[in-house]
Amino acid sequence: MLELLTFVLAADGKAFFENPAYLLGIPLIAVGALGVLLAMSPIELKWPQPAPAEEEYEIFDHPADGHPDAAEYVKVGLILAVITGIEVAIYYVDALGDTLLPILLVLSALKFVLVILWFMHLRFDNRLLTVMFTTGMVLVVALFVVVLSTLGASLV
Amino acid sequence: MQHAPTADAAHVTNTGIDNRKLLMWLFLASECLFFGGMIGTYLLYRNSSVTPPYPTDRVIDGVAYSGLFDIPFTSVSAFVLLMSSVTMVLALAAIQRNDRRGLQIWLAATALLGMTFLAGQAFEFTEFHKEGLSVNTNLFGTSFFVLTGFHGAHVSVGVLILVALWVMARRGRITSENALNVELAGLYWHFVDVVWIVIFTLVYLLQ
Repeated sequence: MLELLTFVLAADGKAFFENPAYLLGIPLIAVGALGVLLAMSPIELKWPQPAPAEEEYEIFDHPADGHPDAAEYVKVGLILAVITGIEVAIYYVDALGDTLLPILLVLSALKFVLVILWFMHLRFDNRLLTVMFTTGMVLVVALFVVVLSTLGASLV
Repeated sequence: MQHAPTADAAHVTNTGIDNRKLLMWLFLASECLFFGGMIGTYLLYRNSSVTPPYPTDRVIDGVAYSGLFDIPFTSVSAFVLLMSSVTMVLALAAIQRNDRRGLQIWLAATALLGMTFLAGQAFEFTEFHKEGLSVNTNLFGTSFFVLTGFHGAHVSVGVLILVALWVMARRGRITSENALNVELAGLYWHFVDVVWIVIFTLVYLLQ
């Protein structure tokens, strides 16, 4: 037991708070455990409710008012195509040097957000869906930070 | 007047969201971690290969090695998949205004664009294999083929779903009342597209 504790607290000769895997990993495990406990507990979560339906069997997934029309989808598609063109064009610009990485990441994130918000309707749908998907994305970023920082890799 | 609930009618839930849609978003959130793990693995190992071939041009011990990646070709593939997202959302917009003909056309276009992407990926894999890269050649090969292979598998499943929807649409079994079926397929398809947006940037463009 003492050996295990020693191993956990000082893996690879690093102090506990010097190890990114512990700094980020343990809080994530704690959040996960909290989620499991919450799911098993009798606590009932109340999510934001939509406006009261006029009919008992109102269909929630009818195209909501304010959803984009076909023309707006085509406009977003054109913007995505232009951004892809810019990404490929700047890939061949040697003068950009180290600035290429942040530019590509920003353009990629822009495309990602456009598809999520417009094509997948997160901009217009229930906020609970946004919370769920954002949670997944936050966990991915945490995973990247833990894995890449712990194992010493970098993007460049 | 109240409508009797049918098999396809949405139901009252305590979240206000149809359970199928909620489940699809939960699935997609979990898929973020699925692909995130593999993309992280690729980034970790991409420069760790001790044997050629390599993804990009490089000189090792005075010996020059040509990179495998063909950026113009992959750019076209990425563009094709991106445009398939546009046709997919146009299919949804069509059925939401009960345009069944439009639904069939846009679903067929999406499936064809997805097949074009898959054909491009098969061509790319074949070219890489001819250059001596396989899944067990080096760390680059392993992490690359596992990542893009799983993405290709997801696209293949998406194409099967689209073809099934197209057959249902041809038989008149999809109307504006059960447009949620198209929306759910669309969510999956758009997610596959955004994963490729990330892969295209982090795997192909970042050198």
